Amino acid sequence: MKVDLYERLVAKQANRRDVLKGTAGAVAALGASTMLAGMPGKAHADGHANIREAILKIPGVGQGSPTDADWQKVGEMCLGATKANIAEGEFEGVELTFMGLNNQNLHNFLFRGFLKPWEAYTGAKINWIDLAQADYNARLQQAIATGTVDFDILEMGAPFEGDVCGKGLASEMPDWVKAQIEMDDYVGYLKPPVGTWEGKTYRISIDGDCHNFNYRTDYYESAEIAQAWKDAGNDSDWAPPTTWQQVQAHTKFLKTQKDPLTATQAYGYLDPLKGWGGFGFYFLGSRATAYAKHPDDPAFLFDPDTMKPRVNNEAWVRAIQDVLDVMDAQPADQINADPGTTGFQQFLAGTGSMLSWWGDIGSSAKTSDSSVVGDVTGFSILPGSDDVWNHNEGKWETLASGPNFAPNMAYIGWGIYVMARVEGDEKKKKAAWSAAAHLGGKDLSLWCSAYPSGFQPYRQSHFNIQEWVGAGYDEAFINDYLSSEADSYNHPNAAIEPRIPGIFQYYSVAEDELAKIYAGQYGSAQEGADAIAAAWEKITDQIGRESQIALYRASLGL
Amino acid sequence: MSMTGDLLHTVDAEDLSAARIRLGRGLVWGAFGLLAALFAVQALFVSQVTSLGFDNWRPVLFGYMLWAIALCVSRVLIYGEQGKKALFVLPAALFVISMVVFPLVFALWISFSDWNLASLTGRRFNGLDNVRQMMADPFYWNAMYNMVLYTAVILVEYAIAFGLALLLNADIAARKFWRVTFLLPLMLSPVAVSWMIGKSMLEVRFGPLAKLARWLGWENPSFFSSPELAKFTIMAMDAWTFIPFMMIMILAGLQAMPKEVLEAAEVDGATPWQRFWEVTFPLMLPVSITAIMIRIIFKLKLADIIINVTSGGPGGATDSVTSFIFREYRDRSNVGYGTLLAIVYLIIIVIFMTLLLKLSERLVRRYTGAG
Repeated sequence: MKVDLYERLVAKQANRRDVLKGTAGAVAALGASTMLAGMPGKAHADGHANIREAILKIPGVGQGSPTDADWQKVGEMCLGATKANIAEGEFEGVELTFMGLNNQNLHNFLFRGFLKPWEAYTGAKINWIDLAQADYNARLQQAIATGTVDFDILEMGAPFEGDVCGKGLASEMPDWVKAQIEMDDYVGYLKPPVGTWEGKTYRISIDGDCHNFNYRTDYYESAEIAQAWKDAGNDSDWAPPTTWQQVQAHTKFLKTQKDPLTATQAYGYLDPLKGWGGFGFYFLGSRATAYAKHPDDPAFLFDPDTMKPRVNNEAWVRAIQDVLDVMDAQPADQINADPGTTGFQQFLAGTGSMLSWWGDIGSSAKTSDSSVVGDVTGFSILPGSDDVWNHNEGKWETLASGPNFAPNMAYIGWGIYVMARVEGDEKKKKAAWSAAAHLGGKDLSLWCSAYPSGFQPYRQSHFNIQEWVGAGYDEAFINDYLSSEADSYNHPNAAIEPRIPGIFQYYSVAEDELAKIYAGQYGSAQEGADAIAAAWEKITDQIGRESQIALYRASLGL
Repeated sequence: MSMTGDLLHTVDAEDLSAARIRLGRGLVWGAFGLLAALFAVQALFVSQVTSLGFDNWRPVLFGYMLWAIALCVSRVLIYGEQGKKALFVLPAALFVISMVVFPLVFALWISFSDWNLASLTGRRFNGLDNVRQMMADPFYWNAMYNMVLYTAVILVEYAIAFGLALLLNADIAARKFWRVTFLLPLMLSPVAVSWMIGKSMLEVRFGPLAKLARWLGWENPSFFSSPELAKFTIMAMDAWTFIPFMMIMILAGLQAMPKEVLEAAEVDGATPWQRFWEVTFPLMLPVSITAIMIRIIFKLKLADIIINVTSGGPGGATDSVTSFIFREYRDRSNVGYGTLLAIVYLIIIVIFMTLLLKLSERLVRRYTGAG
């Protein structure tokens, strides 16, 4: 769970629950923990339900942020699956190195706590490499390029799989691990091919990521704006848009309106027009997927047979043109607005009414001190399109099923990977996979979804609202938050980014060219898109076209 | 007094034995042989020509250190007291070679290669391909053009700095307070300036400077909305940070200037403008040129403010060479090409600064009659 959301929920909970109940819960959890520690076999025999209920009470909603002691307690209570597969002291003398992030004092900080009881039980020792987000990519790529991989277990985002799994640097997941972590429980888009290369599974998912659509409900409940919409000659109802065609029309129309909350200039959709270290490209992607991702075609960025970029096909050019068409209906400094600005300085601060972003906006809307839109924000999956580009046929199609939706699974989420360097030592390999499986366990993941961890829900079982309600969460709020994500994750036409080597190089160079397009330095969107495509071709040639084709096809499961 | 021979007046001329000299030579050549052998073994191993080698290059580094020590000892063994003189300089020279010359040579070697960290094939020598790519790279030349503009603006910064220095040198109230106040921007990290000024004070909705601009009648005070405006704002932010640096150097020069010269000019009937233009300015020229040179060096490294505030945009309008190389390196892992760009930039800077020094030397000579 994201920290902001947790704090918000905690704040709400503290008002509602009496202190005695909270204390009783904490005491009960402590008792359960102590009991389970003394009876290792009992934890598993009791089944998941009791454990899930018990861990969700650590430290207990309304009891403040979890501490290292809590992480250790949760780690200990979730050891049942490990104990079923590993004998006590089995990894005595084994030393493993774990490389991960230290963002917001989460990630590795939690892993340390979770794995401490695992270390005590198995006898293995873990050394830690903590990295800031900004240093992560360079550290990983330098380790790979210079052949100095000095870690056994790696926390990594799926987009880097091409760099690691594609180069044979990761260890294939043993079957016992698949069973232990109950992979069938993953949400649709995290199932193969994600996490797999050439049919082999490498990734233990610990997170889910996607862009969803955030909109201002007060704009759509305003009788005044609705009347103005009618007066402007529009036949359709004034309601939250479900297609990009509607988003465009609403954005242009809102130029003449006042924001119902702040009484300042109203704005429609907010495009980040400035780069963000490659991450900005995801936002054009969110506009483009409904046009470019045909339900019958798994690819939308490159041709799988040639790696010829599709970024300059009609679908992507239309998305770029859409941005150009509404630039004058966006705030004055939009050309210098990156996604951080559109999300946190604009939308949450009451500027603009529509936005694509990761789940952080939904959680921050009600929790951030600078947010003024907490009570007027609604969520849905990304808008669709009335027609979709069939790249293979070279024509636009209107689907019989209605508008084409293709939620953008931007970044896919964090996972745990075991490096191939453990392969020569069976004991070490088993230890590494056991540690990774412990972190990716079904019960532990529920706790991570419910408390600050840096990770979003990613299993079907995380969307059991009653479990959250039982733990003391507000049903309406959590339902709204989770369903927008679940609908995206499980969408049959989800656009999943290619996990090929150097994918952020493509995004980064595209950002540079997009900046030129938005600054009017190209004659047309097509001309700019052609420049992106040319730059992408260069990158593909430099990295190696044949290997990129093979890896791209593998990432698509072809 | 003799002006030739041993000016250090070495006490003992020493009669060094042939065996000692042989030992010295043997030591240095032996250590060099070991270093060369270690290098050859590891190079062949890394190139997969042989299967014998080390896990890393550390043994070669140890070999280099051993050779460096042997070189120093051999100077004394071969040249005696005279050789000891070399020990004052040799360690520093070897250190510079290790930390500056070797990395430069290594960078030059990398810059002629196709090395994308994401590539499965690793580094490949690609001749002049990177140079050809650079010649046709609009982003690089756009950044270079921006650097010309950024550097040209130093003259304006210099004029402002000179004015402020004159002001602070005058007999004004609370002079010490103003001197410290004017120095404050220099004490700030450019990253802090980026966030404090660029991201907060200039923020179009709630930034105080934007609010002030709105109050003054600018309807949409967006400081980065057009290429020209964005470039100007970046220039202004950078100038705000570094004008105090030039100012303090010029102020030091003004304070060191003999008062008698100005008094004599005044007695001779020179107007205030004549006193400045004909006396103060020429006398301050050496200090001014030093200040400008150092400022140019700072300016050529301009990157942090741009990376943080505009990412080089809109459309590359504010990109500097360094911020572009940063993107090429960090975001695109394009080590070979990025290194070539940096090497070319270094060469251009060296040539530019050398020409500038020659030019300024002439200028000083012309104005002051010195040299």
